[in-house]
Amino acid sequence: MGNLAENNALHADLEPATDIPNDNHYFLNMGPQHPSTHGVLRVLLEMDGEYIVEAQPVLGYGHRMQEKMGEHKNWMAFMPNTGRMDYAAALQYNHGYVGLYERLCQIEVPTRAEYIRVITSELNRIVSHHLWIGAMLLDMGAFTPILYTFDDREQVLDILEDVTGSRLTYCYFRVGGVCKDIDDKFVEKTRAFIKRQRERFDIYNKLVTGNIIFIKRTEGVGIISPDMARRYGVTGPVLRGSGIAYDVRKNEPYSVYPNFDFEIPVGANGDSYDRYLVRLEEIEQSLRIIEQALDQLPDGPFLGKVPKKMKMPTGDCSFAVEAARGELTYYMVSGGGDVPYRLKIRVPSYSNLSILQELCRGMLLSDLVAAMGSMDLVIPEIDR
Amino acid sequence: MHPATEKLVSALTELSIPVEACNFEERGYHFEIDLEADKLRSLAECMLAQEMFLVFVGGLHVKPAIEIVYQFASFERACRLVVRVPVKADNTIPTISDIYQGANWHERETRDFYGVIFTSHPNLVPLILAEEDVDLKPLLKKDEDLKESAAVRWAPHPKSTSSLTLTAPVEEKPEAEKAEQG
Repeated sequence: MGNLAENNALHADLEPATDIPNDNHYFLNMGPQHPSTHGVLRVLLEMDGEYIVEAQPVLGYGHRMQEKMGEHKNWMAFMPNTGRMDYAAALQYNHGYVGLYERLCQIEVPTRAEYIRVITSELNRIVSHHLWIGAMLLDMGAFTPILYTFDDREQVLDILEDVTGSRLTYCYFRVGGVCKDIDDKFVEKTRAFIKRQRERFDIYNKLVTGNIIFIKRTEGVGIISPDMARRYGVTGPVLRGSGIAYDVRKNEPYSVYPNFDFEIPVGANGDSYDRYLVRLEEIEQSLRIIEQALDQLPDGPFLGKVPKKMKMPTGDCSFAVEAARGELTYYMVSGGGDVPYRLKIRVPSYSNLSILQELCRGMLLSDLVAAMGSMDLVIPEIDR
Repeated sequence: MHPATEKLVSALTELSIPVEACNFEERGYHFEIDLEADKLRSLAECMLAQEMFLVFVGGLHVKPAIEIVYQFASFERACRLVVRVPVKADNTIPTISDIYQGANWHERETRDFYGVIFTSHPNLVPLILAEEDVDLKPLLKKDEDLKESAAVRWAPHPKSTSSLTLTAPVEEKPEAEKAEQG
């Protein structure tokens, strides 16, 4: 694995393709139904042979105006919406939204509830990474890995289904806690999953991590420098792949995350392969958090006392959480009453995708699939 | 205060931009800035020089003028800033998309939702909304819902007051309902 400067030089070698006269260029629509755009994203590509001259993402096919709905619904009515933005990591979206109200209205949350939130959120992060590993490899033509990751994913989905009642678009958190307590069966099954998942890493490594085809297709592809990441506001595993250890769980700790000992994995080169390594290691770190949380799990209520009709103070409030794809920030402006005057939802994939135009200038079309796959995009989250 | 945060505050003070500290536990960010549109670009340049990243750009429809909200944060330390900038009288505001390229999409989205024109933006075409909805401006408030800028500002409230407004009207209701259900 070369260093960043070398890889950038490699990237620069591809650029002369743009010098060829414009009349050789043609346009290609990737999406909105392309299998590797994961949802309805369209990328308008100006091509020069196999090389990309310019890539312009076209958004909005899955737009539902969540921010407008947020201005017309009280917190309880809006809860199901939160789980329908990033459907692959819905609990973290639940978490940010309830956290926002709890911060603005200074509502106390029972410690047990915070532990349950952390455990289920981290399970959800693992599920999201499972889905990503399978889908990314599928994009690049490897069909087998998704069968393994989905097998593992099913184990967690069963656990989460028992406690939340749904398998994908969770609506489990409440302002003041969670809606259902976890039981011994949950703890037992989660512990069994942790043990099983640790054994499965060996399979992942044999099948994917050391796979020469996978390495050839991802190493040095789609390099994001720390400076570029800052200019675009890239966050999450994509940023950490570029060597910046930014994680909201550590930087602005929320919930009971300070109680746990875990690390922030970072990459060295900022390429697609590093982003894979970061996510794989994040699964292990999430397992560590869950393990510690289960050991420390306190008794007590799982839902605090919260008024049914919330009267909010006026003013603005912000709450950031580390979602599976990066920093998710809810920003509310309240004018009193029980619905927000304004609800801004900053979603991680939005900023992560906006880098694409600069990232893939002079890139091969097949590399775009790898680079875009490594960003772990969820389009309904971007469109909101 | 973190040395880098101190440096940031003094750099802003040098530009004669007033910075106000906030209680993170209540607001979720550390500093707030009210700014004139003329100073926006020098603020953005200062932010980039101080290694802050752009979290989001959003709008807020209030009287007398629409406010554009910018949030910046740091990758290295807990330091989050909210900047509010009212748009100029002709409904325009300078773009910062040449300083923070990430602002490009956020500004296009804000134009979609509020109709604010970001001057010198390289590509101010609809992003989230369809091209035929270019004049929809869905997040503009109706006249009867529109509030004064001051009415949605943080009113310093002692904790006791906020918990009072929270619990007073409904304290007994849930109990009664529970009994009915039981």
